[in-house]
Amino acid sequence: MATSKTANTYNRQNWEDAEFPILCQTCLGDNPYLRMMKEKYGRECKICARPFTIFRWCPGARMRFKKTEVCQTCAKMKNICQTCLLDLEYGLPVQVRDHALGLKDEMPKSDVNKEYYTQNAERELANTDSSNPGGSLGKANTPNDLLLKLARTAPYYKRNRPHICSFWVKGECKRGEECPYRHEMPTDPNDPLADQNIKDRFYGVNDPVASKLLDRASKLPSLEPPPDKAITTLYVGGLDGRVLEQDLRDHFYQFGEIRSITMVPKQQCAFVCFTNRFSAETAAENSFNKLIMKGRRLKILWGKSQGAKATPGREGGAKLTPVPGLPEALPPPPASKPEENNFFNLASTSGIPLPPLPMPPPQPLMGAPPMHGQPPLMPPRLPPPPGQRGPYPPGGRGPYPPPPHRFMPPPPFMRGPPPNNIPPPNLPPPNMPPPNMPRGPPPNRGAPPTIHYPSQDPHRMGTGGKEQGLNPPTQPGATS
Amino acid sequence: MPKVKRSRKPPPEGWELIEPTLDELDQKMREAEQDPHEGKRKVEALWPIFRIHHQRSRYIYDLFYKRKAISRELYEYCLKEGIADKNLIAKWKKSGYENLCCLRCIQTRDTNFQTKCICRVPKTKLEEGKVVECVICGCRGCSG
Repeated sequence: MATSKTANTYNRQNWEDAEFPILCQTCLGDNPYLRMMKEKYGRECKICARPFTIFRWCPGARMRFKKTEVCQTCAKMKNICQTCLLDLEYGLPVQVRDHALGLKDEMPKSDVNKEYYTQNAERELANTDSSNPGGSLGKANTPNDLLLKLARTAPYYKRNRPHICSFWVKGECKRGEECPYRHEMPTDPNDPLADQNIKDRFYGVNDPVASKLLDRASKLPSLEPPPDKAITTLYVGGLDGRVLEQDLRDHFYQFGEIRSITMVPKQQCAFVCFTNRFSAETAAENSFNKLIMKGRRLKILWGKSQGAKATPGREGGAKLTPVPGLPEALPPPPASKPEENNFFNLASTSGIPLPPLPMPPPQPLMGAPPMHGQPPLMPPRLPPPPGQRGPYPPGGRGPYPPPPHRFMPPPPFMRGPPPNNIPPPNLPPPNMPPPNMPRGPPPNRGAPPTIHYPSQDPHRMGTGGKEQGLNPPTQPGATS
Repeated sequence: MPKVKRSRKPPPEGWELIEPTLDELDQKMREAEQDPHEGKRKVEALWPIFRIHHQRSRYIYDLFYKRKAISRELYEYCLKEGIADKNLIAKWKKSGYENLCCLRCIQTRDTNFQTKCICRVPKTKLEEGKVVECVICGCRGCSG
C-alpha cells in the first residue's frame, strides 16, 4: 500500500480523511471546551496500517495529550474508541464484550487478507447507517447482563494521566518540579496487566485486562432470595437526593404490583414492598448490580423482615392501637332522597321554602360534571349531582333504595355531616365498621386526626371518587 | 556580538566603561556555545544562548533608559554593532512586555493554536502551584 504522502498516489482514495474522531467520554476528558489538532494522513493506523487522519488534544489539566491510534474503519468495525480501543457503549475491552455477546469475529491478520477485508468492511460500512456499529456486533446488539454488570457508569479520567517518568524510576530525573511525567513507581512488572498491547486489545485475544474482568465477573456476588417466603420487600441503597420515589416506582412497577415504597432520605435508601413474592424475586434478579438511576448504580438487597420495615398503618405493618379522640364512624348521607335534601336550593323555582339543610362538604373531586356548580337554573326534578348518587331516572316514581352492595365500601368523601344524627332507614348501618376496629381505612371526617395517615389523605382518594364520577348509571339523563 | 568589526570609527565616549562587562558576557556566550549537549534535552540546548542574549541586551537597556549612564551615541553604537537586540528592546518599552524573555516566545505563528508561549501567561492566571518552563528559551514566566 502506498504509505508515502508525496511519492505514490496509487490507492490513495483508500486513505481515510475524517472530519471528526470517534472517541469515548473518558478519552475526551472532563473539559467540554476542547481544542483539537487535526492532521490529515498523519500516521498509519496501528491495525490496518493505512494512513488516516489523526486528532490530538489535551483531555483536561494535568493530563497527557492523547491522539487517535486506529483508523475509523477499524474503530467502526469493532465499535470502539479510536484512542483507547475500549467499547464505545460499555467501556470494556473487545474480548470481554465479544465473550459476553457470544461474538466470534474472525478478522484476517496477514497483510493482503487484511487489506481485502478492510476494503470490504469499508464498503459495507458505507452502505449502513453510521450510527450503528458495523461488523458482527451490529447484528448481535442486545443488552447483556454481564456487560451491564461490568460496565463503567462514569468516565475514568485517571486513565488520561501522564505516563510514569522513566528517568525518575531509574533515579536520574533532573527536571524535578517541572517534569511533566508522573513521579511514581510503576506496578509490579510480573503483574500480567503490565504487558498489554494494542493489537491484542483490538482483536480481543490474550488481553490481560479482559481476563481480569472476566475473572471478576465469575466471582460476582449474586442475590439469594431469603428463605422466609413472607418477605416481599427489597432494600434499595445508594440513593442520593435526585432519585425520587416516582423514579423507583417507574422502574419497579414493571416487575409487579407495588404495595408501598418507603423513602428513607437520611439513610439514602428506600424500601420497595411488592404485593407478591414472585414480583419481588423478579425485581431482585433483574435489578441486582444492574440498576443504574441518574448515573448511579443502586444497591439492591432483600428486606430483613416485612413487619419491621413496612410503614405503620398499612396492612402488614406494625400493629396500631386505636387512636383516641377520633369521631365515630357516621352513616352515609341520605343520598337517595333528593326531595328531602334539596342540595340545589331549588326553593326559588318551587316557591316553597325548604328547611335549611346542611350542604355536603365541598368535594375535592375533579370528576364531577360542570352541572355541579349551577343549581338554580335546573328544573326541580333533575337528578342530584353524580357525586350524590341518585340512581333512578328523572321523573321516576320515587326513591329506590339502591342496591346495598354499592354502598359496601362507603366512599369516604360522601360521609359529610348528615342532616341529622338519625341514619336514613334505607341504608344498612352495619356496613359501617365499628369505630374502634382498625380494620380498613379509618374514616375521614371533619375532625382532623392528630396523626397523619396517608390513607386518609384527601389527595390519595382519587380512585374511589373517579369510580363514582364515571359511573354511567349515576348520571342518567344529565343532558336530556 | 559581532564577529567582524563593521565600522572603522572609534567607539563613542564611555565605551571603556562598559567594555569589561560586555567582554565578560561575550566570554560566557562563548562558553555556552562550546558546551557539550550530552545529558541535555533537545530543547534545552539553546536555552543558555537565549539567556545570555537577553542579559546583554538588558544591560545596555538598563544603562541607557533606567540609569541614564551612557550617552545616546554609545547606545546607538551598541545597537548598530549588534551588542544589544533592538527589536527586543523595542518590545520592552511596551507595557506588559517589560520583562519579555525572548522574541520567539511572542511569535504566535509558531504555536498550534496561534497563542503565545506559556511563559507569557501571568502567574495569577495559571493554576496554583504549577511550575512552567517554556521549551523555547527555558523561561519560567516573564509576565507578572
